[in-house]
Amino acid sequence: MNLSPRDRKAVGSSRRLMWLGLQSNEWMLAAAVVAVVVLSAILDVHHTYWNNPRLSALDIARQTAFLGIFALGAAVVIIAGGIDLSAGSMIAFSGTICATLMVLMAPDVMSNPHQLVGGKLVERPLGWQVISVAIAGTLLVGFLIGTLHTWLITVVGLPPFIATLATLVGLRSLSRAICESVTQAVYDAKSTQIQIFDPAFRYLATSVWIPVLIFLLLAVLLGILLRATVIGRHIYALGGNEQAAVLSGIRTDRVKWLAYCLGSVTSSIAGILYIGDQSVADPQTLGRGYELNAIAAAVVGGCSLQGGVGTVPGTVLGALFLRCVIDGVAKIIKTGADVYEGQIVGVVVVIAVAFSQFRRGVRQGRQIFPGAMGVFALVALSLLAAVLAMLMAEQMARFVPGAQNLDARGTGMSLGLLVLVLLAGWKWYESRGR
Amino acid sequence: MALIDFEHVTKTFPGVVALEDVSLCIEQGELHAICGENGAGKSTLMKILSGVITDYEGTVRVRGNPIRFRGTKDAEAAGISIIHQELNLVEQLSVAANIFLGREFHRFGFLQQRRMDQAAAALLAELECDFDVRQRVAELRVGDQQLIEIAKALSLDSDILIMDEPTSALTEAEAERLFRVIERLRRRGVTILYISHKMDEIFRLADRISVLRDGRLVATRRKEETSPREITHLMVGREIEATQFAGRTRGELLLEVRNLSLPWPGHARRWRLRNISFTLHRGEILGIAGLMGAGRTELLECLFGAAREPFEGQILLRGRHVYFRHPIEARRAGVAMVTEDRKRLGLFSQMNVRENVTIAHLTRLSRAGIVGKHSEEQAAGSVVQRLAVRTPSLRTAITALSGGNQQKCLIGRWLLTQPDVLLLDDPTRGIDVGAKAELYRLMDQLARQGLGIILTSSELPELLTVCDRIVVLAEGRLTAEFSREEASEHKIMEAATLGALEPSDD
Repeated sequence: MNLSPRDRKAVGSSRRLMWLGLQSNEWMLAAAVVAVVVLSAILDVHHTYWNNPRLSALDIARQTAFLGIFALGAAVVIIAGGIDLSAGSMIAFSGTICATLMVLMAPDVMSNPHQLVGGKLVERPLGWQVISVAIAGTLLVGFLIGTLHTWLITVVGLPPFIATLATLVGLRSLSRAICESVTQAVYDAKSTQIQIFDPAFRYLATSVWIPVLIFLLLAVLLGILLRATVIGRHIYALGGNEQAAVLSGIRTDRVKWLAYCLGSVTSSIAGILYIGDQSVADPQTLGRGYELNAIAAAVVGGCSLQGGVGTVPGTVLGALFLRCVIDGVAKIIKTGADVYEGQIVGVVVVIAVAFSQFRRGVRQGRQIFPGAMGVFALVALSLLAAVLAMLMAEQMARFVPGAQNLDARGTGMSLGLLVLVLLAGWKWYESRGR
Repeated sequence: MALIDFEHVTKTFPGVVALEDVSLCIEQGELHAICGENGAGKSTLMKILSGVITDYEGTVRVRGNPIRFRGTKDAEAAGISIIHQELNLVEQLSVAANIFLGREFHRFGFLQQRRMDQAAAALLAELECDFDVRQRVAELRVGDQQLIEIAKALSLDSDILIMDEPTSALTEAEAERLFRVIERLRRRGVTILYISHKMDEIFRLADRISVLRDGRLVATRRKEETSPREITHLMVGREIEATQFAGRTRGELLLEVRNLSLPWPGHARRWRLRNISFTLHRGEILGIAGLMGAGRTELLECLFGAAREPFEGQILLRGRHVYFRHPIEARRAGVAMVTEDRKRLGLFSQMNVRENVTIAHLTRLSRAGIVGKHSEEQAAGSVVQRLAVRTPSLRTAITALSGGNQQKCLIGRWLLTQPDVLLLDDPTRGIDVGAKAELYRLMDQLARQGLGIILTSSELPELLTVCDRIVVLAEGRLTAEFSREEASEHKIMEAATLGALEPSDD
C-alpha cells in the first residue's frame, strides 16, 4: 500500500498500545491500583496491608467481587449506549424477592432458624431445593425487570435515564411493600426486614472464593461476549451509532434487550450475595446508592457514557481501583468505609474522567478554568479540599494513635490554601497564554 | 484596497487537506461566486471567514487588518454573516425570536416582545416577504426560513454576507424571490460571497468567479471574460465521458414498485410520497432526481425497510411481493443501501476499517456466534483490495480516512452481503473529484455484473453521466421519467420544480 506521510501519522495515532489484551489506559489504571495500595500501606499507622497481606487481599477481593458483578452489567449497558440507574434498587428488590421466596417456601425454618442439637444451638438448614428455587426465581425476576426496561425504552419510547430512574424509585418502595405484606401474611406480624441464617446460603457470600469466582466467571464470559462474538460487536455498534446500526441490519431492539437484562440480572446476583453477606434482607438500606458506584467503576474503567467505548478488563480494574481507594482511606483514617464512601467515589470519578478529558483538552489549548466560572470553580475545589482534609484530620486525631495532636482546622485550611494557590497559578498560566 | 484578503490559507483535517495555500481577494461591494465540486473546499473557506473554523494556517485580512476569529460571535461583530446550507434556526421559536436569538431586546432582563416583533416585521418587509413574525419557524417553508436567516444577518448590520448554496432547497419561484432580495442587498452595498455550482445562477448574479478544486484555488475570472463551459471545466479538471458508461445490457426485471405512498402524519402535504411506480432491471442504473425534500431518501428507505411510517403500495422483488419491516429483512432478501449522511447514518466512528466493513456481514463470518478473526480479516481485506480503498491498514480508525475512502468502505460493507439491488443515496456527497470518478467506474462495473442500482444525487450532471434512466420526484410525486438519450439538465429541473404533472387525486 502506498502511504503518504500524513497517512502514516494517522496510523500511529489510531493504533492503541496493547499488551496482554490491556490497552494503554488500562495499564495506567492498573498502575494506579498498585500506587494506591502502596500508599495506603505506608500511610496506615498499623501498616495493615504489610502486616496482614493475606487477609487484606481477601477482603479487597471479596468487596471488589460484590461491586464488580453489577458494575459489569452497568458497563455493558453503558457500552450499548444506554444507562441503568436502577442497580441499587434492583439489588434491594432481588434480595427481598430471594428472602421472600424462602419465607414462602419454608416459613417455619425462616421464623425459627435455630434448633437444639445435642444441647447446642445450631442453625436449621433450609435445604438446597429451597435455596436453588429462591435463587432461580430471583434471577428470573432480574430478567423480567431487564425486559421491562427494554420495553419502556424501545416500545414506549422513554429515554433510558427516565425508564431506569422510575424503577430506581419504584422498586425500592415495592420491595418494602412486599417485605411487609408477606411477613404479615405468613407470620401475622409485619416486619420491615427478613433475616436469613441458613449457613449454606450464607456461605455463598461469606466465603471469599464463591463471590470472586462468580465475578471472574462473569468477567470472562462477558469479556468473550464483547470481544469475540457477533452480539458483542453489535453492542459496540449500537452504542457507537444507533441509526447506523439499524441501517446495517442489526436488530438493535434485541441487542438492547440483552444489555438491559445483563444489567439487571447482574444486580440480582449481587442482591443475592448481599443478603447472604449481611444475613438480612433489608429493603430500606440494601444497595442504597450502589447504582452510582457501578457507573463509577465502569466510567473509571474507560467506558464512555456516550456509548460504544469500554472493555471488561477496564471495568474490572475500575471496580478494583474504587474498592482499593475506599479501603485504603478507611485503613488510614481508621473509621468505617461507609462514612466516606460517597465522597471517595465522587472524587475518584471526577479525577479519573477529568484526567482523560484534560489530557486531550490541554493539548488542544482549551482552558480548564475559563472566565468567571473558572474562578468560582477553583474556589469550590479548594474549599472542598479544605473540608475533606479537615474531616479526615479530625478523624485521624481521634482514632489514629500518634496523631492526637493533629490540628484539624489548621490542616484543612493549609491544604485548602495550597490547592487554591496551585489552581490559581494554573489559571494565571493558561489565561496568560491567550 | 480589497475588503477581504485570504493569504496562503491552509487547513487540514485528519486524512484530508481541505484547503491548500489559498490566496484570494474579495472587493468591496462585489458579488463573488465561489464554485467547485463537493469537497473542493468551498465550505471550509467560508467557515474560516465566518469564525466556525478557528485553527488554520495563513492569514485572513478584513479591511486591511489581519483577523483571527475565535468564534462566530467575533465574525458577526466584524460584520460577517453566513447563511448555511443547513439552516440554523430554532424551529420551536417564533420568527422574531429567531431573528434576535442571543441579542434579544430587553429591559432589566425582561423581554421586550413588541419591540422585537416590530423590528423583525420591518426587516422582513424590506425583503418583500409578508408572513407573521409571531409564527413558529417550523410552520414555514424552507424558502421562507432562509429569508429569516437573511433578515437575521441584516439585523446584525452585516456588510459581508456568505451564502452557502442558498437555492439547493428552493423552488424556481422562491429562487427568483431570493435573487431579487440579493439585488436589493447589493444596492445597500452588501458584499456577497455566493457559493454554488449552478452555472446559470452564477452567471446571472456574480461579478467575479473563483474556482476551487481539491482544496486549491484554480482560477479567479471576471464574469465577462469567461463562460460556463470554462468554469465547469476548471471545476472538474477533466471531463468524465458519459459514453464510457453507456452500452450496458439490461437484464431481467428485478424490482417493481407499484403505487407506493408514504404518509406524512401531521403535515399539510399529508404524503411524503404519493403513488410512485417504477421498475428496475438487472444491469441497470436508475437515477432518482429531485430537490431537497422531494422524497428521494424516503423512497429508498421504503425499499430498504427503514421507513418511519408504514407505507402503502406494493414492492415486487424478483416477481414476489415483499414488505420489509426492518433493514435486516431487506438485507436477507438481497437489498443493500448506502445511506446519505455518512457520518450520521453510516459510519461507526469508534471502530476501525475492518469492523466498519464487516458489520453487516458478521453473522456469516462467525461460527456459533464467535467471530472468526481470520475470515473477518480476509473478508475486509478482499473488499479493501477490490475497491482500492486507500488505507494504511485494516486496523486504522475509519475516521482517519478521506471521505471518498470512507464511502468506499461503506459500499464495501454492502457488497459483502452480495446484494442484487444496491441503493445509493447521494454517495458522492463531500468526496473529491478523483474519488467520484472511481465510484462511477465502480457502479458501472457492478451493474455490468448484474446488480440493479438505484442512485440519487443532488448533482444532475452526475445522474446524467452514469444513469441509464432517470425518474424525477417533486414534492413526493414522480413527475417524469427519462431515458439516457432523452434526459437533459433542463428537462429534469423543469420536472423537479414545476410540480406534479398528473392532477392530484386527494
